Amino acid sequence: MARIPLGCEPVIGSLVPSKKRDYRVTNRLQEGKRPLYAVVFNFIDSRYFNVFATVGGNRVTVYQCLEGGVIAVLQSYVDEDCCGLDGISEALLEFSICFVDQKDESFYTVTWACNRDGSPFVVAGGINGIIRVIDAGHEKIDKSFVGHGDSVNEIRTQPLKPSLVVSASKDESVRLWNVHTGVCILIFAGAGGHRNEVLSVDFHPSDMYRIASCGMDNTVKIWSMKEFWPSVEKSFTWTDLPSKFPTKYVQFPVFIASVHSNYVDCNRWLGDFVLSKSVDNEIVLWEPRTKDQSPGEGTVDILQKYPVPECDIWFIKFSCDFHYNAAAIGNREGKIFVWELQTSPPSLIARLSHAQSKSPIRQTAMSFDGSTILSCCEDGTIWRWDAVSSSSSSSSSQV
Amino acid sequence: MASKPSPSPSASRSGSLQDTPMAKPDESAPESEEIASVIESLKRHVVDERCVSIKERMEKNRHKLASVTSHLQKLSMERRNSWINLADSSHDLLKKRQDDAIGMHSGIGTSSGDKDSDSHQEDSHASTAVLLGTSIPPGKNSVRPIRLPEVRKLPPYTTWIFLDRNQRMTEDQSVVGRRRIYYAQNGGEALICSDSEEENVDEEEEKKYFLESEDYIIRMTIKEAGFSDAVINSLAECFSKNTDEIKARYESLTKDEKTSVDSLHVDSEASSLNSFLDKDLEAALDSFDNLFCRRCLVFDCRLHGCSQDLVFPAEKRPPLNHPDVENLPCGEHCYRSVSKSEKMPTEDSPELGDTKDNSVQPSSGSAGTRTTARKKHTPCARKKARPSQSESASSNIKNMSDSSDSEIGPQHTTSTSHLSPSKTKLCGKGGVSQRNSKRVAERVLSCIKKRQKLIGSESDSVASGGLLGGDAKLSSSPHRENEDANSSSQKNSKSRSRKTELSVQNVQGVARDGISSAMVADPPGSSSDVTLRKDDYADGNSRKMELNDNLSWKAFEKSLFEKGVEIFGKNSCLIARNLLNGLKTCVEVFQFMRQADKRLAYQAGDAANCLGDGYSKFDQGNNEVRRRSRFLRRRGRVRRLKYSWKSTAYHSIRKRISERKDQPCRQYNPCNCQTACGKECPCHLNGTCCEKYCGCPKTCKNRFRGCHCAKSQCRSRQCPCFAADRECDPDVCRNCWVSCGDGSLGVPNQRGDNYECRNMKLLLKQQQRVLLGKSDVSGWGAFLKKSVGKHEYLGEYTGELISHREADKRGKIYDRENSSFLFNLNDQFVLDAYRKGDKLKFANHSPDPNCYAKVIMVAGDHRVGIFAKERINSGEELFYDYRYEPDRAPAWARKPEASGSKKEEASHPGGRAKKLA
Repeated sequence: MARIPLGCEPVIGSLVPSKKRDYRVTNRLQEGKRPLYAVVFNFIDSRYFNVFATVGGNRVTVYQCLEGGVIAVLQSYVDEDCCGLDGISEALLEFSICFVDQKDESFYTVTWACNRDGSPFVVAGGINGIIRVIDAGHEKIDKSFVGHGDSVNEIRTQPLKPSLVVSASKDESVRLWNVHTGVCILIFAGAGGHRNEVLSVDFHPSDMYRIASCGMDNTVKIWSMKEFWPSVEKSFTWTDLPSKFPTKYVQFPVFIASVHSNYVDCNRWLGDFVLSKSVDNEIVLWEPRTKDQSPGEGTVDILQKYPVPECDIWFIKFSCDFHYNAAAIGNREGKIFVWELQTSPPSLIARLSHAQSKSPIRQTAMSFDGSTILSCCEDGTIWRWDAVSSSSSSSSSQV
Repeated sequence: MASKPSPSPSASRSGSLQDTPMAKPDESAPESEEIASVIESLKRHVVDERCVSIKERMEKNRHKLASVTSHLQKLSMERRNSWINLADSSHDLLKKRQDDAIGMHSGIGTSSGDKDSDSHQEDSHASTAVLLGTSIPPGKNSVRPIRLPEVRKLPPYTTWIFLDRNQRMTEDQSVVGRRRIYYAQNGGEALICSDSEEENVDEEEEKKYFLESEDYIIRMTIKEAGFSDAVINSLAECFSKNTDEIKARYESLTKDEKTSVDSLHVDSEASSLNSFLDKDLEAALDSFDNLFCRRCLVFDCRLHGCSQDLVFPAEKRPPLNHPDVENLPCGEHCYRSVSKSEKMPTEDSPELGDTKDNSVQPSSGSAGTRTTARKKHTPCARKKARPSQSESASSNIKNMSDSSDSEIGPQHTTSTSHLSPSKTKLCGKGGVSQRNSKRVAERVLSCIKKRQKLIGSESDSVASGGLLGGDAKLSSSPHRENEDANSSSQKNSKSRSRKTELSVQNVQGVARDGISSAMVADPPGSSSDVTLRKDDYADGNSRKMELNDNLSWKAFEKSLFEKGVEIFGKNSCLIARNLLNGLKTCVEVFQFMRQADKRLAYQAGDAANCLGDGYSKFDQGNNEVRRRSRFLRRRGRVRRLKYSWKSTAYHSIRKRISERKDQPCRQYNPCNCQTACGKECPCHLNGTCCEKYCGCPKTCKNRFRGCHCAKSQCRSRQCPCFAADRECDPDVCRNCWVSCGDGSLGVPNQRGDNYECRNMKLLLKQQQRVLLGKSDVSGWGAFLKKSVGKHEYLGEYTGELISHREADKRGKIYDRENSSFLFNLNDQFVLDAYRKGDKLKFANHSPDPNCYAKVIMVAGDHRVGIFAKERINSGEELFYDYRYEPDRAPAWARKPEASGSKKEEASHPGGRAKKLA
C-alpha cells in the first residue's frame, strides 16, 4: 500500500458504537434455500416507502413492512426456467443447442423504477444477463431487456427521472436503459471502459449526467452523459422498435480513480463525494477532483474511512437511508454495522448481531428514515431490525 | 544518517541556542530533539487542519445533499399525488395488495384468500419484539408466484467496439504489469490467484513531487529552527526523501515566495498576446509532424500512431506549377496587376536595369505597408507627425479590427486621401463593410494607376535616385513614411476640423522631408529639396525599412512564407493564396520575396541587414532536417509500471494464425535512406522490401516493384504481388486500376488493356456483408448474407495491434476464460479482437472450414483477410481453421490425430488461436 502523504490522511471512524440508536430483530423469514443477493426499499413513490423487493435464485419477491415487525408478502415472480417449459415450439427447437447453455436464472440485483405514468416497476437482473422489468402495478412482466453479454451485477434508478435505469454487467459494460420505452440509450464501455466485470454503478443524486461505476478491474470510473443528453431525451419519445434506437457508446470516462487495490464491489454517491468499498474491511469516502482540461485524469482525496470488520469477501453491498444520514452494511459473519455517514469523524451508530445470524449478508436496505434495516443473507433469510429507542427514532425520522 | 550538524551552521547558530553548552558530540542530540519537536508540532498542526477542513467539507456537502434529498422527497410525494389524480387507484395491484395486507394485519378481512404475509414466528429470544399478525395464516405458497415468461439469453460476449481498420494498442490498454485477480466461477466466492510472476510488479512510481503540507512544514521548520544540515536531515527523514531534494525544494520555495511578492508589482501585461500568430511555425508544425500520419493521410492515426519517424523522400518534387494561371493576375493585389500599371511611368527610363522590380516598389509599398500601419511609422515619421500619430493609429485599428482583409481599409484611406478629400469619408465605411471596401478597392486600384500617371516624372526621378543608393528599396521606404504620415494627418484633418491647421502643417512638414512630394496636397515644388536630402536618409532608411519589414512580418508568417517557397517555388500568387490568405497579399509576398533575395545577396556585405532572424532561418530551413520532439498523446490515464518479464513458455497462449505460416512475416517500417538502399538500410536489415513510404529513390533495388499484370487481373500466383501475399498498389503497379462509381464522374485513365485489378479488395474495402447470429455450433457465429464464389474476399479480421509480449499476457487471461481472439499478424504484432474488432471475430473454428485467413501486405501494413475456400451460399455460417499449433490447441479444436498432451515448452511465440463462445 502506498504511503499516505502528510496532510492527506483520511479520518477513520471508531468502532465504538455511539448508541445513538439501537436496533432489535423483529422478524426473520426464510425465503428459500438459495442465496438472496439484493434487497431494496422503494424510494421512488412515497406510497410505497414501506414496500421492498428481494431477489434470490429465480425469484423476485415484493414485501411490505408493517408495524410491529410484520412482513407481508405482496407479490412474487418466478423466472421460468427452460426445463419447466411444457412445449418447445418449432422455432425454438432449432436453437435447442443454445438451451444447453441456458442456466436457471439467478437474480443478483433489483431496483424500483416507474414509467412516466407513475406505475411502480420492479427491475431485476442476474446471471442470464436479461433485465426483467416487472410492472408491479399490474402484476405482469412489462419488458425484458436483452443486450448484456453476460450477467448483470447491479441495476440502479435515476432518482430524478425514475424511468432511467443503469445496469452494470460482467460484459464490462454499463448500460443506460429507459424502462418507459424499453430502449438501450447508452453503453458505457470501450477504449476507456472497465477492463473486467462491472460490479456496481450509481447515479449522482443531483447531477443527472453523472454516474459512477466500479468493478473487478479495481477502479472506480465516473462517466458523464452530458454530450449524449439529447439521446436520453429522445428515448422518452421513442415509438419505433426499441432495437432501432441509435444506441451510442460512451468510451471515455471523465474520471478514473484507483482508490482500492482489489475488486470494488459497491459504490454510491454521497453528494459530490463517493463512497466505495473493496474487500479491505472498510468503506472509503473520497472526493474526485477532476481536471477540466484533461478528461480521465484527476486526483482522489480520501476523506473518511468507515471500518467494517470481517467484510473481506466480495459482493457485499451497503445501503443508505433516503437522506444519506446513515449507511448499513453486513459482513461475512452476519453482523451489521450502521454508520453515521455525514459526521466527521464518522461515528458508528450501532453494531447489530444476532446469535442465529451467521451467514454472510449480501445486502442491506435501510428504510426511508433509517428506522428499519433489512438484511438478506447467503442462506436465504431476510432479517428485519427495528430501531427501539423511540426518542431517537422520532428525532431522526423527522424529514 | 546521524543528524550531526556541520561545523559552520552549528557554530553560527550556537549563540542562539539556549542552555546547551555541552560537549560537542552531545550537541547534536538536543538539537535534533528540538528540531524533531518542531517538526512534530507542525505535523500535528497539519493533521488538525486536515481534520477541520474535512469537517467543513463534509458539512458543506451535507447541506447540499439535504436540499437534494428534500427535493427528491417532494418528487416522490408528487408521484403519489399524480397517480391518485390521474388514474383509478384500483388498477394498481401493488396498492391493492398493500391495503389487503394492512387489512389482514389488523384482523379485518381475514378471508381474502390468496394474499398473506408469510412471516415466520421469531425465535423465543427475540420474540418480545415480534408481533405477528396471528390472523394471517402462514404458508409459503399462499401468494401464487407470477411466472415471468422465458426469454432466451444471448450467448455470452464482452462488449466490444467496432473497428473498420486495425488500431495500435494505446499504452493505457496494456495488461502487462498489472495485477489481475481471478475468481473461481463455481466456487461462488472470491478467489484471488494472480500470477505469481506478476505479484511484485504492481509498484507505484515513487512520488517525487512535494505536497502543499510538506512545503509548509519545510518552510516553517526552517523558519523556526534555522537552516542547518540537522534540520534538513530530520526533514528528509520525516518525508523519507533525501537531503538534496529537501534543500532544492526549500530553495525553490524561497524563490517562489520572492517572485510571488515581485509579481504583485508587475503588471499583468502581455497576457493578451495574439494567439497563434506569435507562435513559431516550427512549434505549430511540430504537432502536425507528430499527429499527421503520412501513410494514411489523416490526423491522429490510430494504426501508425503519433510521433512516427519523419521520412523525407530523397526525390524532391518540383515546385507546383500552374501553367494556366501563369500570366494572369491572381487577384486585385497581385503583383502583376500592380506592376503592369507601374510599367507605364517606368518604361521610359531605360537606365533602370531592373525595371520591373523598381516599378513595383512604390505601389507595393502603398498596399503593403498599410496592413500594419501602426508599426510602420518609422522613427523619422513619428518625429514629424507626432501630434497626428495617435489618431492614425486608432483609425487604423478601427479599420483593421473589422475585417481580416484589413489591408483594404487602410490602403483605401491612403489613396483616396491623395485624390480628393471628399473620398476620405469612404475610409470609415471601407473598414466596416467588406463588400463596400472591395468595390472601393477596385476604385483604389484605378486611382493608383491614375495617380501614377500623374506623378510619373516624380517616380522616375525617385526611382533613379533610389538606384543611386544601390538598392531599389531605398526609394520605396521614404514613400511609405510619407504615406503613413499623410494618410493619418489628412484623415485627421478631415475628421477633426479643429485640428486642421495643425495637421496641415504636419502634412506639409512631412512632405518636405519626405521624398515623393507629389502624393501630398502640397505642390511638388519641394522635390529638389527632397533629392538634396535624400542622401542623408538613404542609408538610415534602408535599415529602418528592413527593421520595419521584419516587424510587420511575424515570425509565423515568415515561416509560412518559407514553406510556401518550398512548395510553390517563387510564386507569390500561390503562396499568398494558399498559405497567407488573409494575412498578406500577393504584392506583399512578392516584395518580401525580393527583399529576401536581395538580402541574401547583400548579406555578406552588410551585417546590419541581418536584423531579422527570419532570414537566417530561411537560409537553412530547407536543408535542415527538422528536429522532432517526442510528444505522447494523452488518452486516459497512462500508468507506467515496472515490468519484470519472465518466460511464459509453460502457458499455452492460443493465437490464431493464417495459412502457410512457416515463419511470421516481418513488420515493415519505412527507411529514411536518402540514396539507393545499401546493406545498412533498415528495411534491408529487417528483411522487408522498401515501399513507397521509404525515403529512398524509386530506383532503389530493395523496392518492391509491383506487377505488370493485365489480363490475369492479378488473381493468380503469376502476379508477383499476389504471389508475395501483397495487394496491388496503383501507385506502384503499372497496370492496376479499378473503376469507381458508375462512370458519370469520369473514367480514370485505364491501364493494362482495360482489365481491372482484382487484387485490391482490402485496400478498397470491397467486402461482403457479414451477419452476426447465434451459431449452430457454439455461441455466436458469423454468417454470410450473399452467396460468393471460391476465393472471394469476405472481409477483414480487425483488432488491436499488440506486441507479442502483451499478447502472451492477455492470452493467459483469455485462456482462463477459454475465449481468445488473438491472431498472429507478423513478427512484431498480434491482432487482438477481444474488445475491438469486427463481426468476423465471431466466425467459429472448424477443422473442415469454408473460409481461410490470409495475412496480406496492403500499402505497407499487414492485414488479415478472410477468403472463401469454396462456394458459400447465402446465409451459411462461416468457419475457418484457427490453425492453433497442435500442442496449444484446445481440445475441441484439435484434430483427432493431433491429440497429444500439452507440451510444457513452446518452440516459438507463434502461438495458436482458439475461439469459443
